[in-house]
Amino acid sequence: MSKNEISEQDRRRKKALIVFQVLLYSYLLGLFLFQLHLYSLSDW
Amino acid sequence: MASTTFGVYDAHQDNSKQAQWRADKWMIAGTLLMGTGVLGIFGLPLFFYGLHLQIQAGKAGLSVRPLIVTLIGYLVIIDSSLNSLGWAMDLFANHSLINRVLTAGWGAVFDGGYFWHYNELTVGPYAVGGAGAPGEKGWEISLILGCFCPRLAAAIGLLQMKRWGQQWLIVTCWMGVIVWIGYNLNMTFYADVRYANITFPVWGWWIYDIFYITPFLSLPYLHTVNREIFTD
Amino acid sequence: MNKNEEKDLPLGTTGHFANMHKWLQRALFVCLVALVLEASFSLPGLLVWFGWPTLSMTEVCDELMKVRWSDDNAECLVPHPLYGANEGEGRTTGPNATAQDQWGIQPRPEYKRIGFRDLVKFRDDRLLREAEAKAQAELIYRTAGS
Repeated sequence: MSKNEISEQDRRRKKALIVFQVLLYSYLLGLFLFQLHLYSLSDW
Repeated sequence: MASTTFGVYDAHQDNSKQAQWRADKWMIAGTLLMGTGVLGIFGLPLFFYGLHLQIQAGKAGLSVRPLIVTLIGYLVIIDSSLNSLGWAMDLFANHSLINRVLTAGWGAVFDGGYFWHYNELTVGPYAVGGAGAPGEKGWEISLILGCFCPRLAAAIGLLQMKRWGQQWLIVTCWMGVIVWIGYNLNMTFYADVRYANITFPVWGWWIYDIFYITPFLSLPYLHTVNREIFTD
Repeated sequence: MNKNEEKDLPLGTTGHFANMHKWLQRALFVCLVALVLEASFSLPGLLVWFGWPTLSMTEVCDELMKVRWSDDNAECLVPHPLYGANEGEGRTTGPNATAQDQWGIQPRPEYKRIGFRDLVKFRDDRLLREAEAKAQAELIYRTAGS
């Protein structure tokens, strides 16, 4: 049935979007932590 | 009475449209104030009242915009206005008293790029002024023109439930992702200029600016909403 | 997904994404309120941090410039004269440069950090310095005269 196909597509889309969000937020967090690391090195 | 099904439907459509417009008038007034920055505190209650009207209309059975579309649309407008306003001041009004206190003062507290040798930038013989941090002027000009202006238009299209509004908001939100990645990297590479001897190094900037992540929050919705609710 | 639940969902949201949309909506709401409050309190908040109302807005601008180029003589001209001299003229480079920087590929500013109401303190310190210098000069003048 077509309904199952749609929900399969939805499942994949949801997964991709969750991966996208996790990647972006961890990138931001990573950069923030890196800046804190620089802060600890250089006495700003 | 010759009230056909069509007549009832038309009346419902008309009432919905009117209710939506009544709510939008308050929200637009609020957003105009909120987009100015300082006057935002006066705009917020107006906006909330419009939001309340829209929720009430929805509860009364009228077909109004989904709440999340309203939030995304107006938030993107506010976000783009605030960004453009600050950067336009830095570009074109950088010697005004208010800019030298607000922008350069903000720089002294949160981001040294806006304090360090402020108003000294020149290109050849031509005075530019404003922030002199490496790369900053390039971001300012390209983002106002290439990202925030189209984003503003897209948000208005989204609020009108137009398909081009949804599509262009997706495009400009992806630009927003690039902006966050690139802008932050630029800051990190010139971290000495940006963070040395300011009041709140690192923490300050992140806490102040993190609320501009609107594109990250809008994209998952825009990609999963049923496209049929937007019309050509 | 039962039919009633599907009916309660907002327009455009399918059951599969209902939870995600709910959380996005909450986060968007938080961002909107935070952004607006932040933007409207930035100017008054910064002014109070710097020293208003003890210092007027022009005086705040003035003290900020003195900090930026580490120069007691830097002045915030209001209005800044059209086509006037660059504010950093003579303060950044040249024999009388006052700006403190470690120059390099990544320059490092060495101006004073501005803590809560520090600009008031900086001004008072400077006035004291200037008064002392003046007294000293008068003393020398009088000693030389007698």
